Amino acid sequence: MGAIARHRARTAAWSLLAVGLLVLLTGIALGTGQVSISAWDALRALFGQGEPGDVLVVQQFRAPRVVSALIAGAGLAMAGSMLQRLFRNPLAAPDTIGITGGASFGAVLMLATGASQQLIPLAAVGGGLLAALLLGGFAWRSKMAVTRLVLVGLAVQQGLAAAVNLMVVRFPAELASSAMQWTTGSLYGRNWTEVWIGGTAITLTAGALLLCQRRVAVLDLGDDSAGGLGLNPARDRLWLLLLTITLASLAAALTGPVAFVALAVPHLVRLLAGPPTPGTLGLTALTGAVLLLSADLLVLHVIPVHGLPVGAVTATLGAPWLLVLMIRQGRLPQRSS
Amino acid sequence: MLLVVGVCALVLCAALSLALGSRSILLSTVVDALTGAAHGGDADVVTGLRVPRTLIGLAVGAALGVAGAVAQGVTRNPLASPVTLGINAGASLAVVAAIYALDLSRPAEYVWFAFAGAAVAAVAAYTMSRRGGDLDPVRLALGGTVLTVVLTSWASALMLASHRTLDEARFWLAGSIAGRHLDTLTPVLPFLVLGLIAAFAISPALNALALGDETAQSLGVPVARIRLVGGLAVVLLAGSAVAVSGPVAFIGLAAPHLVRTLLGNDHRWLLPGCLIAGPLLLLAADVLGRLVVQPSEIEVGIVTAFLGAPLLAVLARKVAK
Repeated sequence: MGAIARHRARTAAWSLLAVGLLVLLTGIALGTGQVSISAWDALRALFGQGEPGDVLVVQQFRAPRVVSALIAGAGLAMAGSMLQRLFRNPLAAPDTIGITGGASFGAVLMLATGASQQLIPLAAVGGGLLAALLLGGFAWRSKMAVTRLVLVGLAVQQGLAAAVNLMVVRFPAELASSAMQWTTGSLYGRNWTEVWIGGTAITLTAGALLLCQRRVAVLDLGDDSAGGLGLNPARDRLWLLLLTITLASLAAALTGPVAFVALAVPHLVRLLAGPPTPGTLGLTALTGAVLLLSADLLVLHVIPVHGLPVGAVTATLGAPWLLVLMIRQGRLPQRSS
Repeated sequence: MLLVVGVCALVLCAALSLALGSRSILLSTVVDALTGAAHGGDADVVTGLRVPRTLIGLAVGAALGVAGAVAQGVTRNPLASPVTLGINAGASLAVVAAIYALDLSRPAEYVWFAFAGAAVAAVAAYTMSRRGGDLDPVRLALGGTVLTVVLTSWASALMLASHRTLDEARFWLAGSIAGRHLDTLTPVLPFLVLGLIAAFAISPALNALALGDETAQSLGVPVARIRLVGGLAVVLLAGSAVAVSGPVAFIGLAAPHLVRTLLGNDHRWLLPGCLIAGPLLLLAADVLGRLVVQPSEIEVGIVTAFLGAPLLAVLARKVAK
């Protein structure tokens, strides 16, 4: 068996396992709570089968939250993987370059104006693009040095955080609390309207990115080779970047900027299945979904603190991971271009 | 010479801070109020509100400015500051936790928690970015950010868990010197002074440290001990500042850079320069915050964050050529 075939087989095997885990975790997540339902019955209730009471609880209260976790986890993970490939740097992520900070800013601004919930995803994308624009304005050169990008991203993040902070201070207590919950990343109180809007938008963007995978693979060869193969690397990179930023912002619009999921998952996938190829993006999405759903299960049923935002858990678990990455990158020769 | 100009600018800023606000007061009235010649009305505003506010601004600004200069000297990193090292976040989490668990409500009671939090965070950020070789500017900034994300999300979790904590802490977290009484400052003043003394004591050694650890060692500078004293000074200074005013971003980053462009890299000038530039920047930002949205005002911490973010971006560009 050749190396490529082996790589594909590994990716497929892990993907299968991830799907299995996903179904199991979904069953558990839908089944547990004030009313306990077995995982199997819960999955059936999701599709309207079984006890009417179960169906109500599962469909109305638990499913939006679970589905949000799945979609947002997948979206964040895909965005992280794409950013790391486009920038050729293992530390690039929507968190580290300020994109999710921008999305938070947009969404909290919408909360501030009291506009309808349907507009929040749009505002988040606007905020994410604004952050990208600021980032580009300060950091752009013909070649994107990642060090500069990350540091400028930190600056953008700080400035936008100040704007959010200003609103939190000005808000009445109720609104401040929901803004706070939002900026930490939380799955509380998701409803079907949000899930439909966010889910559709995320699926479309993610689909577009999946369709571009061959192009990304060519770009991976380096700008010179890509140019030789008839691509316009600078332009393609920009478009792919815009798509990725939109995806990250949309995911953040659904759950808030859940920390470190986008950063950690691509590394986990690389450990499991080897270097990224067009096929691994699917595995990345699945892993992200599994991870965020597990984190939310921890929040709901294991950690005995009421109302803990899921972002606090992923931050706690993700931080050591990022530190290990930093230390390892310190030993490697700088990979940024 | 430049120091004299700086002192004059600082005096001017302090005067503006006494005179301007939701109610503008004539400078002559300010002087009368200060000398005790006038009473009631505007004079009471000056002596009761604006004098404490201005004094606290001076102290906090001086602490943050010098803390930034020492942090940059000790880590040999132009991006080091109480914010980028996670010190602010550490102090903030400690204070939020104290409000949550112990029902505190007066800044004078937060002080000790802010110190402890600042110290723990500083040690953590430093150890994190030191592992695996030299202190690398990007790694230090990233390490501080990681720490900040984690500590901030824990603080948010606590604030979400209790409405009272949220209401108490969110104003403090914005960073403000408004409405503070002098008794907020007095308990931390000894620590602040101690921090300043420590900072000034090692300023010649910081010059040697700038040449690299080995060179410094061969010049007879006890590198490890200087780092320890420097770290202590940063914690004392930044800790007292955060305890009094809440986290005020970027003064610690901006003041040393400003002074460096004017006075050069010699720490024996840099530190006194920051002693002036820090309060100057802070008071200027505070006055600005009072003027832009009259009759309301914007917390100084938010003003400095807005102004400081572009500065950090420009610096980052320079560091990462």
